[in-house]
Order: sequence, then structure tokens, then C-alpha cells
Amino acid sequence: MLTEQRIRTILFYLSLLVFLIGLPFILSFALSYKFDPHTFKFTKTGIISIRTQPAGGVIYLGNKVLNEKTPATIYELVPGNYNLKIEMDEYYPWSAEARVDAGKVTRLEQIILFPLRPEIKQLNQEKISAFWIDYKRGVVYYIDEEERAVYKSNLEGEDFEEIASLPESISRIREFRVSPDRKKLLCFNNHRITVIYLGPQNNLSYIAPLFDLEYSNDRITDVFWHSDSYHIILITAKNIEVREVREGSLAVNLVTLNRKNPSVFSDENVDILYFTDDERAPNGQVYTNLYKLDLSKKFSPIKEIVKTKADEQ
Amino acid sequence: MPGAISWGIIISLVVLSIFKPVTCAVIIITFDFYWIIRTAYLTTLLIMAYRKLAREQGKDWLSACHSLPGKSNWQDIYHLVIFPIYKEGPEILHSSLEALKNCHYPKEKIIVVLAFEERNPKSRQNAEVLDNDFRDSFFGYLSTFHPDGIPGERRMKGANATWAAKKAREFLDGEKIKYKNVIVSCFDADTCVDKEYFGCLSYHFLTSAKPHQSSYQPMPVYNNNIWQAPSFARLVEISSSFSQLIESMRLEKFVTFSSHSMSFKTLVDIDYWPVDMISDDSVIYWKAFLFFNGDYRVIPLYITVSMDVAYAGSFFKTISMQYKQKRRWAWGVENFPFLVDGFLQRKEIPLFTKLRRSFHLLESHISWAVWAIIMIVIGPLPIFLGGAFFNQMAIGYNLPKITGLLFNFTIFTSIVWIILSRTILPPRPRYVSWFKNVIMTLEWVIVPIIIIILGSTPALDAQSRLALGSDMEFNPTEKKRTVV
Repeated sequence: MLTEQRIRTILFYLSLLVFLIGLPFILSFALSYKFDPHTFKFTKTGIISIRTQPAGGVIYLGNKVLNEKTPATIYELVPGNYNLKIEMDEYYPWSAEARVDAGKVTRLEQIILFPLRPEIKQLNQEKISAFWIDYKRGVVYYIDEEERAVYKSNLEGEDFEEIASLPESISRIREFRVSPDRKKLLCFNNHRITVIYLGPQNNLSYIAPLFDLEYSNDRITDVFWHSDSYHIILITAKNIEVREVREGSLAVNLVTLNRKNPSVFSDENVDILYFTDDERAPNGQVYTNLYKLDLSKKFSPIKEIVKTKADEQ
Repeated sequence: MPGAISWGIIISLVVLSIFKPVTCAVIIITFDFYWIIRTAYLTTLLIMAYRKLAREQGKDWLSACHSLPGKSNWQDIYHLVIFPIYKEGPEILHSSLEALKNCHYPKEKIIVVLAFEERNPKSRQNAEVLDNDFRDSFFGYLSTFHPDGIPGERRMKGANATWAAKKAREFLDGEKIKYKNVIVSCFDADTCVDKEYFGCLSYHFLTSAKPHQSSYQPMPVYNNNIWQAPSFARLVEISSSFSQLIESMRLEKFVTFSSHSMSFKTLVDIDYWPVDMISDDSVIYWKAFLFFNGDYRVIPLYITVSMDVAYAGSFFKTISMQYKQKRRWAWGVENFPFLVDGFLQRKEIPLFTKLRRSFHLLESHISWAVWAIIMIVIGPLPIFLGGAFFNQMAIGYNLPKITGLLFNFTIFTSIVWIILSRTILPPRPRYVSWFKNVIMTLEWVIVPIIIIILGSTPALDAQSRLALGSDMEFNPTEKKRTVV
């Protein structure tokens, strides 16, 4: 037992020695102090932490190449400015001047190295003039105005097929919008709106337009679908109106605009329309305001607005 | 006081991690480094203790007693074995008594006392069952029934053991056996002794310089149902066995724990076990320590006594039971005020001894309550609570790297613990799948969770209750040996 106790005592003091010697080194490393064995002095340094996407970039600190590749941590840097460069085959190099402060870490952890020849894939298999992507359903819609054709494919360009033809009545299409139920396509230019079915409906040909409307006396600013896929919201130079998508439907004028070219944003998911319009103050000065038009409560607010307009008239 | 210190440490570190995260990180790194070195040191002690255990296990101790010089006559020695029992049934005690019966030691030198609690309605029925099987197996066999509600007593194991020891004293007086020739062993009901236990105990008693000023501590293992117990319960008990092995190498701190033995004369002199304290197994040591003015020690016996892993049948019940058992063990912190009070009354004990023993006791309980919380819970706090300021500091960047690196060193010590845990296992029962070997190796990955749930938390709970003046009844651990 005596021998064991002696071994134990030696072990105890050895452990104590390791602790007392090791602790200053661990703490100085943690606090980023550099020990100079020549002067026996500690200098406070800084750290640079580098992460790149993708990993594996060669790091140049000034003109010096580091052994470590990204992600990397450069320790014991004397405070100051450093020129950093990261290179990787087949990628554009990245470079910057990094400032290092004593006792601090400079984090360069959101570096993206972009490829020299990015991976580009052609999706369309026919000539096209415009496209619209439905991410939710993973579908790409294409329009070839010249050939009057509408196509669709998946997001990889596979299953490419023609799904509709554009009527001859509309040309110089400015925008097109697919209805929320993905069954109809709305195209418009400055003075005409046309809605067609995407694919045959009830064995009927999809070539004939479902709805075709000319605004010869007004300029169309924008058109949006209502979430029911049966109403469209039109913004013209004069007003904001709503229509049913059927021939001969009447417009309900929701707002008469003071401003000719309002900025408009429609949130199709909640049927809310944001638009700008001008207001003249009593002092004669004109202010531009942003308005929110809630169309979500079915048609009751629309009716209220219509009533108000009628009363006004 | 211990509760206040433990909570003070935890709260201070949390506050520091918010307002002074750099200071907190320095403390955490220092503590982690200290703990890793301490773990390496203790693991070395564990290896040394294990080697000693392996060397002495299986030794023919009775022959060793025979070869002792003439003055030390082992045949004069009687072994009084007391089993304090509360709810444990005959199926548990049967194994314990069978182990006694199969000992490589003359049974006519063994006196068994089954100490039942009168308040358990099944006590007399259980006593009768065991009487029929073991009455004639030993020199003496007594069943005692501790009455409930004796003034000055609380419902504690120590009260029952004391009652049984007093009854045994009457028996010894009747048989005209001198107290100085009796070694008393107070065993948990599920304790199965090694067949060489009494030979080993007699040998150490007879060769000790001060046999009556010594307690004798065997190494507890929890092998009775270790193959059946759930992983977390097994890990806790293996750690407990290892802890005792380590402590056996640190004699200046070694205190009695669970099943142990001592001179009956000393037991009578110090007025038996405490009848109103939960941690009777360690308080009895401190009572003797104070009685002999510090000239009292624990002699480690490198021989095992096997007990049950606390297991209640279902997962959650077992966790709850384990938690309560560990809280009861941690209630041993009640020894601190007892010891300090005793030290204040005894001027004969050197001041250095008083300070050293008080510090050891306090430090062990505070470490128990806070170390896992500091390493696992508080360790990452500066990163989360230190804000942008801390995250732009070099130490904020280095903290997770350094602690991660330090923890990697513990993998080596963990491997040693896993290997040693395999070596102390009993043979795998036939009905247990071979796959259990794999589980019993892989289960060590849950240690960080276990040390929080069944390590620090119950210790902190016990200290808090004690600090707030809450009471805790002795809640004996249920024993089951069902296949899991």
C-alpha cells in the first residue's frame, strides 16, 4: 500500500504540474496571445476565420501561400490589414483586404467561389419569346408569340409539350399570367386582354379565346388574377376595376385613380392589392400614398365600394 | 452552506456568461482543463485499484488467517451480520442468505440478524419464511422487529439497524461473547457477499494496527441483476462501483459507503448508528472519527459484495427510483454540519485535519452537484448569451474548439472505463442475448445525459432541500430482478 500511495502522490503532483504548466498556454491560446520565446513576452494577436463555398480554396496571405485550404483559421496575426486571396481551379478567385484587431476574430465565412463555366442548361425545345415559372407545381410555361404557341415543361425542361395556341387577335404581348387554378392563361398588351384555356376543356378546342376585351380608349397598366380564377383585376390609367372572365361581363369600378401610372402589387394568395395614388392636400400640394385594397372577403367589400361609387355618382 | 455554494457557483457563471462572457469563458476553460486532468488522474487510480482487486479476488483468505502469528487467533472472531429490511421480500433475502451460507468461513462463527420493520405488515410472514430455511445455518440467527414511532427516532435505516444491534448485543451477552471479538457488518438486504469475504475481513481486522479504530469497506458491485437492468441504470451503478474503487486509493478521504463492516465494540462505544439521519452508512464513520479524535480510518477490502441495480420494472419508474436513490446518497451532505459541529467540540483533533476533512467533504458534494452542469450546460452559454461582442472576440471563437479538443481526451479515459466495466461483469446468463454485449458497450455514449439527470440534478436537489430545511424520509430502493 505504501508503494501505491507513493505512486499516487507522484501522479497527483504530476497532474498538478501538467495543470499549472498547461493552463497558461491554453488560456493564452484562447485569448489569442502569442508567446515570443526570445523576448519571453506575450503579444496580443488576432484571428482570421475563412470559409468558402465550395471548400478547398488555396489561401494567399499577402504573397504567402498557406498550407491549409479553406475552411481555415489563421491564428496569431499581428493586428493590421492583410491582403487575402483565395484561388481554386475552375473558379473565379476571391480577394479582399481584411482588418485584424488584437484579441478579435475577423470572420470571412460567407465567401462563395463562382465557377468559371457555370452549368447552364437550355430548357425550351421550341422557339420562345417569354416564360413564367410555377415553382409550387414545378412547371415552366413558355410563349412563342410568333408561332402563337404556349408550351409547358417541368423545371428541368423535360416533358416539353404544347398546351395552347394564342388567338390572332392579340399581338405585342406585354405580360402573361397563368390563373391560380392553372387552367387559364391571361395575356395583355397596352389595349387588349385575352384569356384562353390551357388545354382542352370539355372536349372543346382550346384555340378559341375564352375572353377577349379591347380597351381602345384607355391604357392597361397591369392585370391580375383573383384567387378564384374567375375574376381579373385590371389597373388602367384611369381606374382599378374587377371583371368576370366571360364574354359580355360588366366591369365593377373599385377605385378611380388620380395618378396615371400607379405602382401596383397584387398578393394572389390573400387577394390583397397594394397601389399608389395621388392626393391633393387643402394647400394644393400633391402627395403620393400607398393604399391597400382587401379583396379577400369574397365580394362584399367590392359591393360596398361599388355602392359608394354609385352613391357618389 | 453547500447548497448556497453550489447555487452560487451556477448562478454566478450564468450571470457572468451574460455580462462578462470573456471572464466566464476563461473560468470554463480553466475548469474543463482541470476536470480533464482530474479525470485522467482518477482513471489511473481506478486502474491501480482494479489491478489490486483482480489480484486479491479469489485469494484463499481463510488460509491466510490460519498462517497468521499465534496472537492473532481468527477463531476468536465472530461475525455479526445485520440486514436492515423494510419492503424487500424473501426472494431478495434468500439470495443474500444463501451467499452467507456458501461462504468459505465456519458458519458457527457467523450470527445473522434480519432486522425487519414492525410497520411493514408482511414482516412477520416474511421472517417466518426465511426462518424455516436458514434458522439452523448459522451460530446465531435472529429476526428483530423494529417498533415504529420510538421517541427521538425517524423512519430511517439507521434506526432499524441500531435496534437490531441492541438486540444482537443482548444475544452476545447471553452467549458471553466479548464485543471486542465481534465484527459487525451492516448489509443492504440485497447484498450477496463473496465467499471469501469473512476470511478477508478477519484477516484485515487481525492485521490492522488499530482494528477497533477502523472500518472495513468492501468494493460494491451491482452484479445481481446487471444483465437485466436498463442501460442508464447500469451505467449509474457501474460508475458508483468505480467511484468506490477510486476512493479506496485515496485513503485520506475514504469514507464508508453502503454495505461495510466495523468492530462491534466500537459500534457500542459510539452509541450505534444515528437514528435520525439518512446517510447512516457514512455518518457512522464520522461518529467514530470524532469519537477517536480523528484517529479512525477506513481499510479497503479488495473483495466484492454484490448488490442489485435499482430497477423498478419500467423505464420511467426506474429513472424516478434511481433519481430518488441518488438524491438519498447526495443527502450525505448532511454530514458536513454534523462534522463541523463535532470538530468545534473537539479541540484534540489537529486544526489541519479538521480543515482538510471538512474541505474534502464539502468539495466532494459541491463537485458532485455542479461539475456536470458547468461542463455540459454552462459551457456553451457564453456563446449563446454573450451576444455579438463575445462572438467577435478570439476567445469566443476558440471556446468551442478548445472545449471540443479537451473533451476528445476524455475518449481515452472512457475507453478505459468501458474495458474495466466489461471485466467486472458476471458471466452473461443464457437467456440474455449476445447482442446485449454490443448494447453494453455502446450505451456509454449516453453518459453526458446520465450525469446531468442522475448525477448533478439529484445532488443539487438534495442540497437545496437541506438548505431550505426540507425533510426527507428514508425511501428504500425497490429491488427487482426481471428480464428487460
